[in-house]
Amino acid sequence: MRKLIFALSTLALLSACTEQQPTKVSPHILQNLSPLDTGVDFANMVSEDAEHSIINYIYYYNGGGVASGDVNNDGLPDLYFVSNTGENKLYLNLGDLKFKDVSKTAQISGNSSWNTGVTMVDINNDGLLDIYVCAVSGLLDFEGHNELFINNGDGTFTENAKAYGLDFKGYSTQAYFFDYDKDDDLDVYIVNHAVHTTLSHGKAELRHERKPLVGDVLLNNNNGVFEDVSETAKIFGGENGYGLSASIADFNNDGWDDIYVCNDFHEDDYYYLNNQDGTFSEELGKAFSTISRFSMGSDVADINGDGYQDLITLDMLPNDERTLKETEGDDVMFNIQAHLKKLGYKDQYARNMLQLNHQGQYFQETALFNKVAATDWSWSPLFADFNNDGHQDLFITNGIFRRPNSLDFKKYVSNAFRGRSEHEALAWLYNSIGEMPSGKVTNEIYQGNSKQFERQTGQWIEDTPSLSNGSIYVDLDGDGDLELITNNFGAAASIYKNNTDTSKNYIALDFKYKGANQEGIGLKATIYSNNKSQLKQLFRSRGFSSSVNNQLHFGLNEATTIDSLVIVWPNQKVQTIKNPKINQTLTVNYSEQSRTYHPESPSDLASTFKKASFIDFTHQEDHYNDFSEEKLIPYRISTLGPALAKADIDNNGYEDIFIGNSSGKKAQLFLNNGHHFTPLHMKAIENDSLFEDNDAEFFDADNDGDLDLYIASGIQEEQLEEFQVDRLYINDNGQFKRSQSQIPLNPLVTTVVSAYDFDSDNDMDLFIGNHSDAHDFGQAVSSYILVNDGTGHFTKQPNFEVESKVTSARWEDINGDQLKDLLVATEWDAPKIFLNQSGTLTPTIVPQQLNGLWQTVSTYDIDKDGDQDILLGNWGLNTKFNLNFDGPLQLYHSDFDQNGKNETLLAYNKGGYYYPLNTKDELASQMNVINRIYTKHKSYAGKTIEEALTKTTINSAKKFEVHQLASGYIRNDHGQFNTFIPFDDALQLAPITIFLNVNVKNESQLMVAGNSTKLNSYHGAYTALKGLLLKNENDYKLISDYGMAPIHTQVKQLETLKMKDENLILILSNDDNLLLYTYK
Amino acid sequence: MKQFYFSLSLLIVVLFSSCNTENPTIEISSEDYHHAVDKLTQIMVHDIFSPPVASRIYTYSNIAAYETLNQESSNYHSLSDQLNNLSVINPTKTNDKVNLKLASLIAYLDVAKDLVFSKEAITTYRDSLYQHWNTLNPDELEAAQTYGTTISQQVTTWMQKDQYAETRTMPNYNIYSDDPSRWQPTPPSYTTGIEPHWSKIRPFVLDSAAQFKPQRHPEFSLEKDSPFYKEVMEVYTVNREMSQKGDESPEVLIAKFWDCNPFVSVNKGHFMFAVKKITPGAHWVGICKIACRQTKTDFEKTVYAYTKISLGIADAFISCWDEKYRSNLVRPETLINAYIDKSWAPVLQTPPFPEYTSGHSVVSGASSEILTSIFGEDFYFEDLTEVQYGLPIRPFNSFRAAAQEAALSRLYGGIHYRSAIDIGLDQGIKVGTLVNTKVKFLK
Repeated sequence: MRKLIFALSTLALLSACTEQQPTKVSPHILQNLSPLDTGVDFANMVSEDAEHSIINYIYYYNGGGVASGDVNNDGLPDLYFVSNTGENKLYLNLGDLKFKDVSKTAQISGNSSWNTGVTMVDINNDGLLDIYVCAVSGLLDFEGHNELFINNGDGTFTENAKAYGLDFKGYSTQAYFFDYDKDDDLDVYIVNHAVHTTLSHGKAELRHERKPLVGDVLLNNNNGVFEDVSETAKIFGGENGYGLSASIADFNNDGWDDIYVCNDFHEDDYYYLNNQDGTFSEELGKAFSTISRFSMGSDVADINGDGYQDLITLDMLPNDERTLKETEGDDVMFNIQAHLKKLGYKDQYARNMLQLNHQGQYFQETALFNKVAATDWSWSPLFADFNNDGHQDLFITNGIFRRPNSLDFKKYVSNAFRGRSEHEALAWLYNSIGEMPSGKVTNEIYQGNSKQFERQTGQWIEDTPSLSNGSIYVDLDGDGDLELITNNFGAAASIYKNNTDTSKNYIALDFKYKGANQEGIGLKATIYSNNKSQLKQLFRSRGFSSSVNNQLHFGLNEATTIDSLVIVWPNQKVQTIKNPKINQTLTVNYSEQSRTYHPESPSDLASTFKKASFIDFTHQEDHYNDFSEEKLIPYRISTLGPALAKADIDNNGYEDIFIGNSSGKKAQLFLNNGHHFTPLHMKAIENDSLFEDNDAEFFDADNDGDLDLYIASGIQEEQLEEFQVDRLYINDNGQFKRSQSQIPLNPLVTTVVSAYDFDSDNDMDLFIGNHSDAHDFGQAVSSYILVNDGTGHFTKQPNFEVESKVTSARWEDINGDQLKDLLVATEWDAPKIFLNQSGTLTPTIVPQQLNGLWQTVSTYDIDKDGDQDILLGNWGLNTKFNLNFDGPLQLYHSDFDQNGKNETLLAYNKGGYYYPLNTKDELASQMNVINRIYTKHKSYAGKTIEEALTKTTINSAKKFEVHQLASGYIRNDHGQFNTFIPFDDALQLAPITIFLNVNVKNESQLMVAGNSTKLNSYHGAYTALKGLLLKNENDYKLISDYGMAPIHTQVKQLETLKMKDENLILILSNDDNLLLYTYK
Repeated sequence: MKQFYFSLSLLIVVLFSSCNTENPTIEISSEDYHHAVDKLTQIMVHDIFSPPVASRIYTYSNIAAYETLNQESSNYHSLSDQLNNLSVINPTKTNDKVNLKLASLIAYLDVAKDLVFSKEAITTYRDSLYQHWNTLNPDELEAAQTYGTTISQQVTTWMQKDQYAETRTMPNYNIYSDDPSRWQPTPPSYTTGIEPHWSKIRPFVLDSAAQFKPQRHPEFSLEKDSPFYKEVMEVYTVNREMSQKGDESPEVLIAKFWDCNPFVSVNKGHFMFAVKKITPGAHWVGICKIACRQTKTDFEKTVYAYTKISLGIADAFISCWDEKYRSNLVRPETLINAYIDKSWAPVLQTPPFPEYTSGHSVVSGASSEILTSIFGEDFYFEDLTEVQYGLPIRPFNSFRAAAQEAALSRLYGGIHYRSAIDIGLDQGIKVGTLVNTKVKFLK
């Protein structure tokens, strides 16, 4: 027996609305209209029974789509809604936001058992919009196929998919019509989804083995009949393709349309670049460094006005603190991720990803920076200008009827699920389905300003939990702004009337193209107005399972004119319209044009740096795993290498380089003769390959005129303590020999060694920076100055001490007294500046509230006022810490469970309250007692850190704070260092780990690099900092614009080397190849 | 029935108290003890304790009961000075007429409650018993409580120094390695290796975790003629033949009967949950119960039997885990998927720890020796331990026959190679024999 589980709520809704109330003025710009006012009474009512539920079909709560288009050619866009199991409905727009249900006469209700996505398209070019509805069939007892309702022009439709070859049978989510081969007809990409089988969890290579029903298909339109060309076009169609949406766009502006496919679960998303010959190349790995794990809906638009289209993909990371701790997230993925990597999958993270397109070459992920990363169980994103201010805004639908990833449900099921046969067990599970908590979540809307998004939920739309899936925008009432329509699960569909006032201008564009693509799908329109441009490309299917009408809408803010409108038609012909009239819907007719679109050619700048291969070196990290040693620490301290030191060892006038290696791998020295490099084998150092080399410095320790080497050691793979101490190698006539007694034993994790004769007694002294104890992350440790007695014997300077977590340090003269001062970067602490006053290092005051996660420190005149400013690399504003930073981040260090071993615990500030960063299971893995205090996840979720571990415990712990996440500089105001100035947004996209002053073509520039791959599964990896070159704080470009490859790795070192005829720049990353570029 | 018993006893209480006669003695039977053991098993299943941890919980609870009972017994020796670091228990009896059986049960629950997560499940159970006993004879209950907890606290103090707490926060098994012979997490949940430091737990009878260090497994090799590879292929071919024979084949039935995996993950889209069962240790504790009932053992012998078998099981786990994380051998599923058949899945879910030696084999070897020592050879029994988990009853002609089958079930289950089974069983027999010879229970 099937039960209609949602009937009650809808009835309640409808009856509540029958009491006719005067239309209230909505406080929201987007006002949710009553179904009784609009006449749109559609509701996606889904019935469940023991054989049909999320237990048997993983996508049972994915909901249906919605489409808009003018099916009766009366100039008003009509609406079509998909019902998963019920009847689909068509509503004619009567004007004034009134609609009429014509489903019965139209005969479009659908014949398939399970309907999903919908798109309208004039398939037969008769000037009448047809409707294409996707279906899941062949799964469970679902029957039917994708259906094509041909518009008869008399108010009726006839299903005739078979005649067009569009009667695809499989697990379809949505169809995307576009002209991939530029023959002026519409082809289609159909996204189909996999279901879990033993094989679907197999190797990534499975994607190459085409699987019927499940694999995505590309159908080529051959004179009105669609033929499967997936195989020849090189489209993946494997058993592991959990496709839930696609986005079509000309991502690289080569004039041909490309495809991005969102795949749920472990399968990577696909990024197909159009080869312009009927085939595609999948290049996700080259263009994207971070992608969402459970990718659902997606959309593309040029959100920053650079002429390239950007992408958003949605996932399921909750924002609500309670939900976050009650449901399963990325924290459990550590082992699975390692396993999936072995199977060939890319690392993926369960959060929304906002991918900024850099000139069609690669994408920088910025969802955390924009705070759009965590919108919970999200389906459909739509970029559009909802307030007509000329910037793209973002709307996201959310909600899952029941949360299958509830941890308590999992436990509940586990406790009761035993001793049953498979069949009994499933029936029992179905009966327990009500125990799954509801996942109603508010839809979210964000205002864009072409730089960053700002949440406007509650202001622009109501902040009310709902279950919304498919969504579209369309100007239903013709007043120049966009309405929003959502298809809701188990409730009436929503129409949000846009009340944007008319002071903001707009233009809407309709198109008439030629051939078998009368609608002009795939064309691009750019408007130039007010010194900015807006680019849009015409595609119908967007968001999730839904399709917008074939109109392009541009907000103009207060601009009263458009300088020009440039159309690139699908055949690449360019048409320019000067000064089109605004505040109207303009129909642009194709006319044969002379000019043809040509992609931009690369600029001269791109030849500034040229890749070189003088030195063959790969740093390979060892297998030490910090997170198995201390389970709650936020990032590793064992992957801080490689070390790099340069100096002219052989006195030939060219600097040589030493590259330290990870534990178990040999360090290498390369001698430079001005033309090439020769490896020099140093036995003593090679014999010490068990050490982990974090940093190194050449200097003359014993005043004998040659260079000796100090190597700062990190954590050894097997934690053998004798291989974790720092080493001093004395140069004895060109032979390096390890000295056993000249430096104090330093078993700590050393991050930096820096030499300078700070006391001006004609011998080199050292600053030794330590980060932590190898076994106790949270503890602040001692860093010190080693004073040279003139013979190369070093003792700790008794009057100097830094008790902190030092990451980097430099000797630089910042006050112009010709004595170098000491700059120290620290984590969970403020940066330290020690002024050198005739050999006494005096701490100077730094700006208040400057505790950070400082990764590096350097100097550069970044504000071009003639003095050196102090540059500080921090974590930046594009990390998960940025999401919950309503107050300083906290780290607590104490033996919380009193078992004789200290733990490190993080807490973040969300809305004024401090919550533990870790889930209950994570805490319990380090503190057994947690499982006894909290038997349920529910009882732990939402607890503040003080509630979770008691106030007394927390108060007795040592506390460290981070006040500042942004990278920036301390401005040098005539020798005063009182002001911290954050860098521009482009420098905040990932941790900055290194600055390098470099002279390019006789111009002083600053190179900036970073990224972090040393993180736990809470963070994932932060790799959006692709490398920049700055002339000053406001004038910078990405290094890829100068011909260097974008950086996706965790950079440790940047260095320059002079060759005879050219210069060399070295980019040295953790666990990656050394990269070299030449420049003049 | 129970209701009737309850109201009857209430009636008796009312009757007695109104007549002002002396309170009746609280009668504690073997069944009461069985019931308490079952209760603890249920809670452990609920809390999902791994097999080694579960064995520790049984053992300390039983020892508390045994020691409470046998300080001045004419039939049984105290275990003081017989188990590692267990010095003389101080029996400070407040009154000579302590109901020792009652005190023994109280001590059992008192230790158990500190060992599980769901402490309130034990206390609720205990309090309902207390309430009942209190209505019968409050004075007797109080005396038994005083005595029982005196002993249980001493057992607890001893227990707390067994390195359990210290091992909780020791490092996880490091999953990063390029060595194909090294164990790595297995489908579907890729759980990190459990209890990598269990060998650091103080054993009860063994002089050290490595006392019966087994011979090394056949050298890892992917050469077709190597002994190791042949064992891999044996797992593969045996399982393939089984799947041809179908789910009702004797081998499949044996595999499933002895699964004893406390946490079998089931994947359903976005949710994953576990089908929970008892551990191998709990299964043998269940067989011990069957033997007790079949021979109608008295309370003292029941406690003795449970104590002795749980000691053996606990040391079996320590001995086995010592070898598991010494050899860190990869499971058949990992190798077969990587090199032979990517879609192969074992009949049983591979448990999350290294392969060599087989835990169930070691535990079964030890358990069968100990039960044989108590109940004799050729002891026929019908094993209904896992009926409540949906498994059938299986008859056995002796404990050793059951152990042989349990060990072999790991091959049929597709989770162990032959050597881990044969050598594991032998390792267990050595542990069991040591318990039988070294610890003097009977006077």
